[in-house]
Amino acid sequence: MRRKLLSAAVCGSTLLLALTACSAPADSGSTAGGELTGTGTGAECVIDSAIPIGASFSLTGAAAQYGAGQKNALELAVTTLNEVGGVTYDLTVEDDATDPKEAIQVFDSFISAGASVIIGPTLSNTAKQTDPIAQDAGVPVLGVSNTAAGITEIGDYIFRDSLTEDAVIPQTVKAAVDSLGVQKVVVMYANDDAFTESGYQAFAAALEDQNVEVAETLTFSKADTDFRALLNKAKQSDADAIIVSGLIDAAVPLVTQAREIGIDTPIIGGNGFNSPALIEGAGDAAEGVIVGAAWNSASDNEQNVKFIDDYTAAYSSAPDQFAAQAYAGMQIIDQAVRSECSGERDGIKAGLGTITDVPTVLGNVTLNANRDAEHDALVQIVQDGQFVILN
Amino acid sequence: MIAEYSSLITLIALTAILAYSFYAVLIAGQLSLAQVGLASLAAFTSALVVPSEPLFGFIPPLVIGIVFGMIVGAFAAFILGLPVIRLRGVFLAIATLAFGEMVRIFLINQTWTNGAQGLSFAKLVGPGVAWIALIVVAYWFWRLSGSRLGRAFAAIREDELAATTMGIDVPRYRMASFVIAGAVAGLYGVLLAHFSRFADPNEFSFTAAVDGLVTAVVGGVTLFIGPVLGSAFLSLLPEVQRAIGIDAGWIRPTISGVLLLVVILFLPGGLSGLIPVRKSAKRLNVDPSFQPTLPALPAVGSELVNLSGLGKSYGGVHAVQSVDLTVNAGEVLGLIGPNGAGKTTLVNMVTGLTPPTTGTGSVLGVPLTASTKAHRLAQAGVARTFQQIKLFNRLSALENVLVGGYRITQDTLLRRLFFLPSARRLEREAVAMASAQLVRVGLGEKAANAAGDLSYGDQRRLEIARALASHPSLLVLDEPAAGMNHVEAASLSELIRSLAADGIAVLVIEHNVRMMLATCDRIMVLNFGEIIAFGEPSEIARDPRVLEAYLGSAGSDEDVEAASVLASETLAHVVDDRAAEHPEHDGAAAADDATTPEENR
Repeated sequence: MRRKLLSAAVCGSTLLLALTACSAPADSGSTAGGELTGTGTGAECVIDSAIPIGASFSLTGAAAQYGAGQKNALELAVTTLNEVGGVTYDLTVEDDATDPKEAIQVFDSFISAGASVIIGPTLSNTAKQTDPIAQDAGVPVLGVSNTAAGITEIGDYIFRDSLTEDAVIPQTVKAAVDSLGVQKVVVMYANDDAFTESGYQAFAAALEDQNVEVAETLTFSKADTDFRALLNKAKQSDADAIIVSGLIDAAVPLVTQAREIGIDTPIIGGNGFNSPALIEGAGDAAEGVIVGAAWNSASDNEQNVKFIDDYTAAYSSAPDQFAAQAYAGMQIIDQAVRSECSGERDGIKAGLGTITDVPTVLGNVTLNANRDAEHDALVQIVQDGQFVILN
Repeated sequence: MIAEYSSLITLIALTAILAYSFYAVLIAGQLSLAQVGLASLAAFTSALVVPSEPLFGFIPPLVIGIVFGMIVGAFAAFILGLPVIRLRGVFLAIATLAFGEMVRIFLINQTWTNGAQGLSFAKLVGPGVAWIALIVVAYWFWRLSGSRLGRAFAAIREDELAATTMGIDVPRYRMASFVIAGAVAGLYGVLLAHFSRFADPNEFSFTAAVDGLVTAVVGGVTLFIGPVLGSAFLSLLPEVQRAIGIDAGWIRPTISGVLLLVVILFLPGGLSGLIPVRKSAKRLNVDPSFQPTLPALPAVGSELVNLSGLGKSYGGVHAVQSVDLTVNAGEVLGLIGPNGAGKTTLVNMVTGLTPPTTGTGSVLGVPLTASTKAHRLAQAGVARTFQQIKLFNRLSALENVLVGGYRITQDTLLRRLFFLPSARRLEREAVAMASAQLVRVGLGEKAANAAGDLSYGDQRRLEIARALASHPSLLVLDEPAAGMNHVEAASLSELIRSLAADGIAVLVIEHNVRMMLATCDRIMVLNFGEIIAFGEPSEIARDPRVLEAYLGSAGSDEDVEAASVLASETLAHVVDDRAAEHPEHDGAAAADDATTPEENR
């Protein structure tokens, strides 16, 4: 009986806590007063209050490996920007646990807490569920890692600084054709993942544009780790290159196994291959892998060098593309706020609409009429254990 | 405030609906993980039929989606159920899990679902719609819990074999719970897709299935409100942690995990176990005016059981050989013999639990063949108790007896849904009949106790009451006096005689020979599966073969006791037969171990 009382007390109080939390009044929209607009423009802009920014990333769950870097880079960017003065930011990073249902609630809470702009979420398929909420509420969203088609079509409050697969992949294919004379390829992709499947579609379109023959199209699952059977099939087709649209989890075993069974043709990867983990994991096997990327880690762009140094100093690990895009996202928001000198939702939305050739760690970024990012993508090849630009 | 938490409020309702679809199978003792697969099928196919404008100008698109989704869910569950419904426990879980995975991979590879890219849906569901749907589902399960169908599910969950012998068609009911779960899962899928405006097949994954199962288990399956509690608890956990300012990251899932563990450890019945409910909301109803008039029993002396040459072999072992027997209404037939003689195998054949391998027989007009189902015989009017007590342990004594009344009561779910007065009347009649049987066996005081908490003797009596509740023509008692003292055995003997006087044919297996001699009209003695003696008690007590069988056996204490009783009755014969050889015993004993083959599947 006593045990039952104890458990009743434990669970009862938890539920009670939950209920009181629900009924606690939230200061919804109270920050949308007049303090978020300031005087001056650009570098002279001064806004008294800190501008509330919400960021929803996948810090736990399946996509946690991407979310962690995004959170770190964003916090670094806010710290750096707050030191500049004039405009300050109050960043709240929330975890969506790689669960769209959680992300919906995170967006809700950001909106009701009065966030001026929301950054995220990490995954495109989550964005398709959360971004309509922000659109309905009139809160601008800046996606920093959503690459699938159809995100910015959700509405005029939805922006992104991440290049779509359609922007990166044609350049990759063209570079491969130009520099290596690729005529015939085998395409492999994970068909159960939104990211890799849209990558495949972009590859297929680009290959057709370049008149490259597709000898075979092979599919696998994002959870697969043994590709030998598929690779043997690919080997027999006698192609000039293998094109792979897969996540980094597939990239390492796939590249390693391809070299093991004697495939020495170039392997061309999509965005998923663009990670230091490829070189760390596959070692020598990664040599000659060609990857299209939105971010050049070896760029000597001053901002980029500083970003990499600061990030490495703060978190003792090198940033990846996800981190760089998150960092650039904050730079773009800062530019948007300063251009209108307004931290209001609509001010930021208007500001994001004017982003043209803004210097960031990604290079000079423009948000086009479709609210999608435009900046130089680059094609890299792994040489001597490093990504270098393919000429 | 409502607007601010509208997503949370909606998701609590939707998650609760998913949990109800797990609840629907768990209350019938099944563990299925196919639910999210069914939900996914329903969601994606609904995208094909939901119109953008109201149909005929007045049917809202969502209603079409819901109806269609529920039909798809129920139908897919039925198709899935056909091959897998025979599986139990972890095997069923694995099979249904595989189905969920199959659906996911199928949908990913279809063009109409847009594959892994997912599909957009119109926003048609908000907190209002979600909660209305939840209330309807919860209401349905609330009304189910007190109906005959609900009791049948509970009986199957507690003990399938006993449920079968109450006349419950177990595979059919298991399928019913499966299909109900499918319909609810379909509802969930359609609502979720039209709430979140987007769905991709990967969302309906194994993880989602486990989440749904955890929600149902945390809420508890003993009370219809369980899924709602489970959903509120699990949905609020992250929100509360966010509100009290715990940093995002690994610490939150850890706290959630610990709280989950606390609930599972301290509340085995789930959160709904915290809600104080009386063990049985119903009390005894001994008012004779509520007793319905039951159909008359067969006339005394009419032949109910007719076996000819009936036998059962397990491989080379002949458990029962060539038994010829008739049992008439109103007589008490005793079956004695040493352990392993084949007594239980014989009554298992008579009650349809074990198919005979040779011979023919008919019980209450139902022929005994390899395909005879026990529940058919039960519906014809056979009731029984078991050598190893098979009660529905977590149900109250009264509820046990109510399940026993399955055969003679009508299903009340539909009537209960609409609160028809006839539902109340029928339930009251069922309680009155059950109460009468409980009082008859002397358990009137203990009606609200859980069957598992009763003493051994009381459990024996409760099993008899449950068997009597079906208003049987033939009652089979397998060692009813085991564990009873002489006084209790004497009153049991009286009870059996009074049942026979009512016109019930009683077939009793018992080791208490003194009681058998006093109670039975005729006694059949089995040894090594063969009849060695058959006749009136006075003849049996003097039969030399019987004495040999008992005294020669190196059986249990009961055998020794039985032998000593026989010995005292017929001392002279005992002396003559002392020199009898010790027979070999092993074969028949092995056969008798397999008394309940259904359990060994």
